[in-house]
Amino acid sequence: MEFGTIEREIHVDAAPEVVFDVVSSPEHLRGWWPDEADYPAVPGGAGRIGFGDCSRGGGTWEQFTVVDAVPPRHFSFRWTHEEGQVAAAGNSFLVVFTIEPAGSGTLLRMTESGFRERGWDEAKVAAEYAEHVSGWDFFLPRLPTYAAKIGSGAQA
Amino acid sequence: MTVDDDLWSAVGDPTRRRMLDLLLSYGGGTATSLSEHLPVTRQAVAKHLVVLDRVGLVHGTSTGRERQFRVDEAQLARAVAQLADVGAAWDARLRRIKRIAETIQRGRDTTSETG
Repeated sequence: MEFGTIEREIHVDAAPEVVFDVVSSPEHLRGWWPDEADYPAVPGGAGRIGFGDCSRGGGTWEQFTVVDAVPPRHFSFRWTHEEGQVAAAGNSFLVVFTIEPAGSGTLLRMTESGFRERGWDEAKVAAEYAEHVSGWDFFLPRLPTYAAKIGSGAQA
Repeated sequence: MTVDDDLWSAVGDPTRRRMLDLLLSYGGGTATSLSEHLPVTRQAVAKHLVVLDRVGLVHGTSTGRERQFRVDEAQLARAVAQLADVGAAWDARLRRIKRIAETIQRGRDTTSETG
């Protein structure tokens, strides 16, 4: 796994068409993530999602742009770019859902990436350094210890 | 969800991760001592140390001829926790997606069974 990419998968006992609908439509998105969702669920569709009490002027809006929508197999979007900017690598996080039939249900996979690209150019320059550097093998086993140290002090 | 971009980028680079590994395992180090274990020059290591220092992942002290660096474990823990947070947030979202989709599916199945 590339550090800075979140990868997850989950089995859903529902048809791919249903799962696609749930991960892509603004109405359903509100059921599992933001409080407000306003965007056209088509490739290039730009809009925003809101967290908190947006209707009364509170809360936070985040920009949201659909990258691709191929029912019922694929839905991807970028979010958190600045308002007025075109969503692209480097200014936003990319979330990709892939949806595959599995048995009588569906295997839903998601990745979120862009954490590394967003920060700072030197990360890219340094990426030229060989990926053979085996630091992660050494580093990963130590992570739980460090994570445990700060525990519930993590930001929500 | 707040993600500290600079902090994340600093840890996102393989050479800097390796440097953190080395600093952790040796309890500290200098640009020279680190470069002995890495396929990059001392100058490159020094630049990486500046980056790590800027986001607070390492701290340098001038004790001898060369600055001695140590890992700030609290700050490293913070970087790790941010990644864990994002992962945990997606775990929760995916569980909700599953629940919603399965509820819809059950509704459809029931409808088709009853005609």
